[in-house]
Amino acid sequence: MTRHHPDSLSLMEYSAGNLSEPHALCIRLHLDECPHCRSRVDTLDSLGAVMMEQQPKVSVSEGMFDSILSMIDSEPAGAAKVATAPRMSALQKLLGDDINKLPWKRQLGDVSVLDITDRFPGQSEQVVLQKLAAGGKAPAHTHRGEETTIVLQGAFADQKGVFNQWDFVVLNDQDEHKPVAVGCEDCITLSVLSAPVKLTGTFTRMLNPFIR
Amino acid sequence: MSTLEQKPASSEGRKDPWSQLLQKVGKNQDRAAYHALFEHFGPQIKYYAMANGMASHAEELVQEVFVSIWRRSCLYDWRKAAASTWIFTIARNQRIDMLRKMQRTSAEMPVETEDLWQIPGDNENEPVTSLHRLMSERRIRESLSHLPEEQITVIAKVYMENKSHQMVANELNIPLGTVKSRVRLALNKLKVILQDQNV
Repeated sequence: MTRHHPDSLSLMEYSAGNLSEPHALCIRLHLDECPHCRSRVDTLDSLGAVMMEQQPKVSVSEGMFDSILSMIDSEPAGAAKVATAPRMSALQKLLGDDINKLPWKRQLGDVSVLDITDRFPGQSEQVVLQKLAAGGKAPAHTHRGEETTIVLQGAFADQKGVFNQWDFVVLNDQDEHKPVAVGCEDCITLSVLSAPVKLTGTFTRMLNPFIR
Repeated sequence: MSTLEQKPASSEGRKDPWSQLLQKVGKNQDRAAYHALFEHFGPQIKYYAMANGMASHAEELVQEVFVSIWRRSCLYDWRKAAASTWIFTIARNQRIDMLRKMQRTSAEMPVETEDLWQIPGDNENEPVTSLHRLMSERRIRESLSHLPEEQITVIAKVYMENKSHQMVANELNIPLGTVKSRVRLALNKLKVILQDQNV
């Protein structure tokens, strides 16, 4: 059961369709596992519908409906294929079936990373998977910009609490944290970084490739 | 007609007319119902496209949305979303999809728009319970009529012009914090925030 949720403003930007793809992915992964937030998004989607209804109407071209009819008539039979087959999740499409077996780059000690920014062409944010070995610790750091994170596997704890699978957390330059992986699984997170993070501890300069 | 298709009269009363029409399209490929939906929602979607800067593709978006409505109508479940909510999410997704396709090739898009932005009711595992979903549009319409103009303006820019909170702040020349507090006040009235507190 997830306990850390996106705030209403982020859900509204999601519902309006205004988020970047990596941010939308973080929200979607959370929604898939959180009925509570799905219900909030349902309400926000209805807000979108009511806003659309209350705007001025613009008349459409004469003959447009006929051209739509000819478009649907020219569709191959069985266009109802949208209904079939279990869909692969976004995560599977991006990362395959086992996120533990990705080409992780070991950084220092307990931390591995994988930069997947290139899966989102044309986006300005950096998208990074981070893995903290079971029981491991990451060095203390703050964040220069805003970092949106969702837990994909396992759990981590910092001074703000325990973050379990599908929990959602946003950190900014006010937050210094020193996460520890809890439980018996490696903790894997997906983070979207709007700007590089800044190290606060000693000896951590060598970690710079990891903690951006 | 099979007995399976007969709904208890009590549930029929809660369905709004657009949802009934959409259901007819899904079940019977009813073209008269489809046409009625087009007459009602086509102009709304065209305005939506124009408001968010796609004026030169506005009619193309309307077409894409309606072809998608036809294709997906068999999946529509009135118990999971009112027709207008469902159609709004399709319009939103088609807009995003068109913009993505203008910007890059399909090889560059391992993840489809629908993998990121869900259409309500596509999740088959979702329990069919939420009466509040059907109530919510009516409630939102009522609540909106009591909101101050400045809050509605901000919400309209977010939903219709697809501006981020930061962009709205820049445009109205007010601090980002003011935009966020207007949105929070509005969402509070709409009971979205109230639900945050029960988490």
